[in-house]
Parts: sequence; structure tokens; C-alpha cells
Amino acid sequence: MSVLFAATGAELSKIRSSRAVWLITGAVIALHLLIGLANIRNTTTAVEGITPDGLIEIFAGEHRPAGAALIDLLVSFSLQIVVMFLPIIAAVIGGQEFREGQLAQSVLAVPRRGLLTTAKAIAVVVFMAGVAILVELISNAYLFLAVKDWNPRLLLGGDTLADHGTLLALAVLVSLVSFAITTLMRSTLLGIVASVLLTALAMTQVLARTVPAIDALLPVSAGRNLLLDPADADLSSSAGYAAIVLVAWTLLCTVAAGLLLSRRDAR
Amino acid sequence: MTRAAGAAAHAFVVIEFNGVTKRYGKKVAVAEVTFSVRPGKVTGFLGPNGAGKSTALRVLLGLDHATSGTALIDGKRYRDLRYPLRTVGALIDGAGPVADRRGFDHLSWIARSNRIPRSRVGEVLDAVGLTDAAKQRVGKYSLGMRQRLGIAVALLGDPDVLILDEPVNGLDPDGIRWIRTFLRDYATQGRTVLLSSHLMTEMADTADDVVVIANGRIVAHGSLPEITAGHPSLEAAFFALTGEQKQVWA
Repeated sequence: MSVLFAATGAELSKIRSSRAVWLITGAVIALHLLIGLANIRNTTTAVEGITPDGLIEIFAGEHRPAGAALIDLLVSFSLQIVVMFLPIIAAVIGGQEFREGQLAQSVLAVPRRGLLTTAKAIAVVVFMAGVAILVELISNAYLFLAVKDWNPRLLLGGDTLADHGTLLALAVLVSLVSFAITTLMRSTLLGIVASVLLTALAMTQVLARTVPAIDALLPVSAGRNLLLDPADADLSSSAGYAAIVLVAWTLLCTVAAGLLLSRRDAR
Repeated sequence: MTRAAGAAAHAFVVIEFNGVTKRYGKKVAVAEVTFSVRPGKVTGFLGPNGAGKSTALRVLLGLDHATSGTALIDGKRYRDLRYPLRTVGALIDGAGPVADRRGFDHLSWIARSNRIPRSRVGEVLDAVGLTDAAKQRVGKYSLGMRQRLGIAVALLGDPDVLILDEPVNGLDPDGIRWIRTFLRDYATQGRTVLLSSHLMTEMADTADDVVVIANGRIVAHGSLPEITAGHPSLEAAFFALTGEQKQVWA
């Protein structure tokens, strides 16, 4: 176990000391802050207009119970960053290994490839969980600013915390899928392209409307199915099925990446 | 330190190649390579470009999978060493740092991977003369500085075995003299040094034993005097052993 701890620590050190990772992570966090800033006035106005019977109009002509609508808004706000941009950060982390002989240096340091893959996966989970928590904290901070005069305890509800947990799990799983695909393709660019493609398929909901059975098997679509309310979006499966799909994608991709690393020469 | 005293301080670690063959598709990079490297000696691994030196070393270090045969360090495969960098230090072409990382950070993650004390990072940076450049990103390093960083990585775990592939590439005369003296001292302590190069003069000044490879096959193996016997220099012996052979894949 101490070998695994050492290898994982080394992988985290690699991630932390990469300028490319910090630049892309900084850009994603900055984008999240900007989007939040751009929306906070609208959200605050909507909260100020909550009717005496507790209805809010976030989107024009759509009146919903305020608490549930605001929590859905919170989840959607974080979800778009989590599924669109966190996989790109993970692809940059995974792609580092295939630049300038890094993989050979990694194998010299940790020659057991299964151990190396496991350490990498754990390091990605830890780092991406940290980024996801930061994303969720920013989302919470913005929503708190909007609701503090109406119901400051809204963000502490059990359902809200459960949504945060699900979002965190989703962030980690889609990031791991992206990391593993990048490792399989041995290229940051190809990893990013694959992630963007999977995200585009889910966000446009093309497959969800035409062949929902296929859509339900895609990882980002599964993430959407896991988190969003069926009343608000065209979902292609239940939350339970989506969870199974996401975990299966993560396990299969990570194991495949490990097998490929093990079988190939470290070039 | 005398050789006897040095030998007492370090384990005698032997490197053994036993019938190692490596094919890339239909191309045979090394064929039936068999030799051993003794502790307390600098062993030169000589061959023209493309002869199979780097491939043999990559197989030894677990980077490439042998098609057949075994390459062992102290009776074990490299991958079976628990913290390999504490036993084996290696400088291999094609195993390097990412350009956007600082030299210090590159050494730090490697040290952490093998539970090597962080204090060693500063020591090896000092040893190779990179202390002042430690906080620079590797992309700004010259070829010689990158080579020094690679040597620092090899020394990080204070290993009993050093495996260096073309270590003087890019080094200035001071650096070349430093590494020659350093490797001689290292071997004197009873440690094992395997040094790959195609530079004859450098090898003649550094090696005790010589292994010559050409076209992926070992063509000579012995002490420096044995290899050069009957020839005016190591270079003359080398061409006599390899010069007639065209560098083609078998």
C-alpha cells in the first residue's frame, strides 16, 4: 500500500506542478465566475419577485415553487461547467504523459503499469474532486447572494446537499472517463475532441429525441439523466440506470487504459 | 575511498542479459543479446547509431517488453524492484521532463514516487550544477542543462547501479570531465555502471569493460585491454569489430 501512496503522491505532484493544468483550470474557474456574475442580477430580481404563495419566475412565463426552482438552477449552473469543462482539464492531465518522454520517465519511477494506472486514476479523482468542490462553492456563493434576504438556509437542505454529492460524483466520473480516453488515444487533443463530442451529443439532445436507448448509454447523457428533473428536460433513462452507465464507462475505460499501458512499450 | 572500503558500503549488483531479443513488427532491433555487467567496474556499451544499444537498455529498464529472453538487475526484473530508483539510476533517451515543469518540480515528483527524501533533490541539483536553474521551466533549459537534469534524476536515489545512455551528449568540456571522474569514483565504491556511447575516445578514458553491439548482436565483450589487444586504439578495435557490417535490420 505504501508503494501506491507514494505513486499517487507523485502523480498529484505532477498535476500540481504542471503549468498547463493550472492554466486550463484557472480558465475554467474564471469562466464559471464570469457566468455567475452575469446571471446574479437576473436571479436576484427573480428572488425579489417571489410571490406570497412561494412561486418564482426564473424563465419568462414559467412559474414554479421557488425553493425547488432555485436548487434546480444551482445544479444546472454547476452541471454545465462539470460536464463541459472538467473533462477537458482531465484530458490535459492525461495527455501530459505523452509529451516529451514523460511516460518513459513515469514508468522508470513506477514500473508496474497497473500500479501506475491506479495511482494516476486516484490522483485524477482527488484533483478533479477539488476542482468540482470549488465549482460548487462558487455556485453556492452566487445563489446565497441572491437568496440571503429571502431564505438563507435554502442551501443547507438535505436534498440540496444530496444534489451536491451527486454532482461531485458525476464530476469525478466524467473526468475519469475523459482521462482514460485520452490515455487510450495517447493524445490531449484527441481526448478533448472525444470529450467535446460526447458532451455535444448530450447537450444537443439529438440522440435523446431520436434514439433514446443509445443516448442513455453515453456517459455525459447519463450524467444529465442522473441529475436533471424529468419535468425539465428530455431524459433518456432513469437516474439509477444512468448511475450504472456512468460507473460502467468509468471502469471499462480505466481498465482498458491500464491494459493498453501495460501491453505497449513506454514510448 | 578505496575500492575495498567502497565495496563494503554497497551491495554488489550485477546486470545480466540472457538471450534478449526485441522485435518491432518484422524488424529485429536486438537479437539474442547475452552479457553481464560486473559491479565495481564501468562497463561501456558501444555500438553505432541504430545498433540496438538503447533498445537493449529500454528492455533492461522495463520500458520495452522483450520478445524473448530476460534482462535482470541483481537477479530481478526492473519492474519487480519495490522502489526501483533507490537501486537503479537511469538516463535514457526518450525519457524526459515535460517542458512546462520546473526542474525542481520534476525531481520532486520523481523523489516522491520512490520515497526518496526531499533533501536529495537539492543535493543532486547541486551535484550537477543546476541549483541556480532549479526554478526555471525545463523548456528554457539548454541541451546540456537538460542532460544534467537527466543525470540528476539518475542520481536521485543514490543507487547502486547507474545506467546511462549517451550521458555526455550536449555537455560542455567541463561537464564531460565531471561525468568521467564521477563515474570512475562511483565504480570505485563497488557500484555498477553501464554506460552506452558511440564516442570511442570518451569510452576509452572511462570504461573498464567493453561490450560491443552491431546490427542488434553482441560482437565482443571483455575488458578494455582484451578488446583493444592488437589494435592501436579502442576506435580501431571498434571498426575492426563492426566496420564491415552494414547497419541494416536483420
